[in-house]
Amino acid sequence: MQVYLPIAELSVNLFFLVGIGGAVGFLSGLFGVGGGFLLTPLLIFSGVPAPVAVASVTGQVVAASTSGALAHYRRGAVDLHLALYLVLSGILGAFGGVAAFALLRDAGQLDLVISVGFLVLLGSVGALMLVESTRAILKQRQGVVIRERLPNQHSWIHGLPMRVRFKKSRLYVSVLPVLIIGLFIGFVGSLLGIGGGFIMVPALVYLLRVPGNVVIGTSLAQVVAMMAATTILHAVQSQSVDIMLAFCLMVGGTAGAQFGASAGKYLRGEQLRGLLALLVLAVAIRFGLSLVLAPADVFSMAVTGLNQ
Amino acid sequence: MSRLLVLLVCFFGLAGPAGAERLVSQVSNETVEITSSFSGERMSFFGAIIPDAGSDQKYVEGPFHVVVVVLGPTQNRVARQKTNVLGVWLNTDQVEFTSFPSYFHVLSSGRLTDITDITTLTANRILPESHTLAVNSQDWWKGAVFGRELVRLMTEQGLFGVQENAVNFPADNFYSARLTLPSNAPPGPYIALTYVFKNGEIIARKSEGFAVRKIGFERFLAQSSVQQPLLYGLVCVVLALFTGWLGGVLFKR
Repeated sequence: MQVYLPIAELSVNLFFLVGIGGAVGFLSGLFGVGGGFLLTPLLIFSGVPAPVAVASVTGQVVAASTSGALAHYRRGAVDLHLALYLVLSGILGAFGGVAAFALLRDAGQLDLVISVGFLVLLGSVGALMLVESTRAILKQRQGVVIRERLPNQHSWIHGLPMRVRFKKSRLYVSVLPVLIIGLFIGFVGSLLGIGGGFIMVPALVYLLRVPGNVVIGTSLAQVVAMMAATTILHAVQSQSVDIMLAFCLMVGGTAGAQFGASAGKYLRGEQLRGLLALLVLAVAIRFGLSLVLAPADVFSMAVTGLNQ
Repeated sequence: MSRLLVLLVCFFGLAGPAGAERLVSQVSNETVEITSSFSGERMSFFGAIIPDAGSDQKYVEGPFHVVVVVLGPTQNRVARQKTNVLGVWLNTDQVEFTSFPSYFHVLSSGRLTDITDITTLTANRILPESHTLAVNSQDWWKGAVFGRELVRLMTEQGLFGVQENAVNFPADNFYSARLTLPSNAPPGPYIALTYVFKNGEIIARKSEGFAVRKIGFERFLAQSSVQQPLLYGLVCVVLALFTGWLGGVLFKR
């Protein structure tokens, strides 16, 4: 059954859209990430124009993260105070990201920046996660007891000025790194159409030493709020949010995420992280290859304006 | 200079043969409606060549050739070229074409080069390449190269095409042509130009307009995304939040 996408101006098979939404939703439920980093490339490879894909996936990430964020909130695992700082700086970053998005699209370099961005981000985060999870798995096999990082272990980041107390996270830390993390993720997320959960979680854990029980919830809450703002920004600035496309993906995504979450219970934390790392690395390699391999067609075209 | 030439040729083309033939033609659809299940639309163009009203001719004498040119709304389009810079492929060069048709199909009753000469084809913009002449580039050669590549890319997308056997003559002076508009046909005003050739000369021509437009819900969505972008964005977010919440409730997470 074909469904016509009014903003992308093409018709796509409905089951294909719900299907990839569901498949990515399953993975996002399994690993606890938004899944934007998989969905945006999949849509671009299947013919949806890159600007429409990025802007519409932003809407889908909101839906995919909402149920998780609510569930964590009910359990009291969201540090709203910390999330507020992250969201406010994130929205500021999103303004920059959406503006850069429009500039790059007009200059014809959007595809390049998206490819390089995915390669660098996914490549580095994937490699780090793979190393960390392999080490954890090996240590477990050898029977070494891993000592949890304690929240009161300090690094140079904790010596910065303008400290604020985050009660729920049991943190007394400078707002500067918090704001920088928010800004960065807001910028990158709106530019690449990803929620940034897979950058946010390691940043909160390793840089700020946020305790494990509130990391996922806080990150999800931040993703929901920031991606909601980014969706509106994209809708206003580039008018490339396709509500039909986003809705089809949401329906598949929210359903898939539930199955993914229950499947995740059968795997251990470090195994999950290892698998996610492989997935992230695979996407990064795919983008890397598209940069260095000779393209099938060196010519491409784009519409720059209506002239009627 | 080239525009002046086109104008001149058009002028003489119109004034030249004080034809005794007239063309009556029709398009099957005046509007092509894009609904949620739009997957393309078949159209037909048909008509007859009859003696002109003022002439005392009783019948027309062929053989005739008919060429139907279907043009979509114009856009500004760029063609870009990737080159390898230090091992990385990136867009390094681009040429912009203004007023470039978003859809262009030629249906004819025979090989275009057999019907008439290249000059007439180019002057009347019957060849796809003739639309790449309005180019925003100082470099003529580059414009021609990128123009040819743009036509090739448009052809690969099914937006450009030349079908040299698409016009049939069920009777000597009656023709019909079929065209399938693809699902990615851009919405907007379309024009179908019909030319009748006899011995390589245009003896009659006519144009008909038709519209491809979104209707109903699709039209509403596309319009509100442009006219009320803030509200549209808010609705997207509310829809996303609701879908996410509903998913959580339904599956008791």
